[in-house]
Amino acid sequence: MKFLVVDDSATMRRIVINSLQRIGFSDTVEAGDGQEALAKFDSSVGFVITDWNMPNMSGTDFTKVLRSRPDGAQVPILMVTARSVKEDILTAMEAGVNNYIVKPFTPQVLKEKIDALLPAAAA
Amino acid sequence: MSSSQRAQEVLYESEAALRLVDQELLDLHSVHREEHRAVTAGLADLPYILERANAQILGVLSRLRESRAALQSSAVEKLQVTHEKLREVTSATEDAAINIMDACDRATQLVDELDTIDAASEPDREKAGAVRGTLRDELFLMMGALQFQDITSQQLNHASAVLVEMEHRLMDVAKLFDTNAANEPSPLTMANSVDMSTFDPNATTRDPEGRQALADEIFTAIRGTAA
Repeated sequence: MKFLVVDDSATMRRIVINSLQRIGFSDTVEAGDGQEALAKFDSSVGFVITDWNMPNMSGTDFTKVLRSRPDGAQVPILMVTARSVKEDILTAMEAGVNNYIVKPFTPQVLKEKIDALLPAAAA
Repeated sequence: MSSSQRAQEVLYESEAALRLVDQELLDLHSVHREEHRAVTAGLADLPYILERANAQILGVLSRLRESRAALQSSAVEKLQVTHEKLREVTSATEDAAINIMDACDRATQLVDELDTIDAASEPDREKAGAVRGTLRDELFLMMGALQFQDITSQQLNHASAVLVEMEHRLMDVAKLFDTNAANEPSPLTMANSVDMSTFDPNATTRDPEGRQALADEIFTAIRGTAA
């Protein structure tokens, strides 16, 4: 399965991609903001992991646009962000993310969230 | 109304009052220039005009004191929050450095252990495999500790945005006293415009478990309601 990892921090992209490789997912593509992610998203992407605060297009806006596309309506989207107040979490849910990870995170949390969403991705 | 909005309002009121005083002084000046022949009559009115000007000046001074207090209050509040953020940056950096150094120490011990296993006449391959697994865990832990960089960069961007805002407020005050200041470029804004969309003002490295638990609780509750 191919993962699209979206974060404006190159450090975070590497950490997420290394975490994915460690739990057995080595097929990844990365983007530095929502606009770039939209350009790189295609039907081969089976899972999206996105940050919230990014230049040009935020993670929530990217999620909304992706959800409006036929090829992105069902793809699992996991938001990984430093934002963690209740209103933010609700806003992310409304935008269409399937689950939410608060930074800084542990690889265990990432694995749990991906495992929980994978049946949805396979369906 | 926030303290910063109040400060801005008071600044505008002060500026309006200063303009009124300017107008009064202009009127007074024109009376003397254009009505030279009516000097005697003008002199009779002078105490009244001076009294009015005095009242206006007192009003302006009062407004300026109020604006100073409002500015001081909002600026101090913002600067205290920024100061706290910068302290957290220092603390997060130190925590990450300590975590990485601890992991380095443990990794070094594991490498020593591997050397000992290799030096044996019959190396225990199974044990060596387990040690390598632990070593990989330690290396991975070091990488995870670097997440502080993303969060502290957001905190520093927030501090930078507060400094730019403070500069704008000081420029607004300067404009009240010197109209030429309005044309002067803003050094901080020119040198470093902060993209507000790239950071969360509340970003923190503290209590990730508690914050994750809140997110999980909300998702579970809302999914339960929707089901």
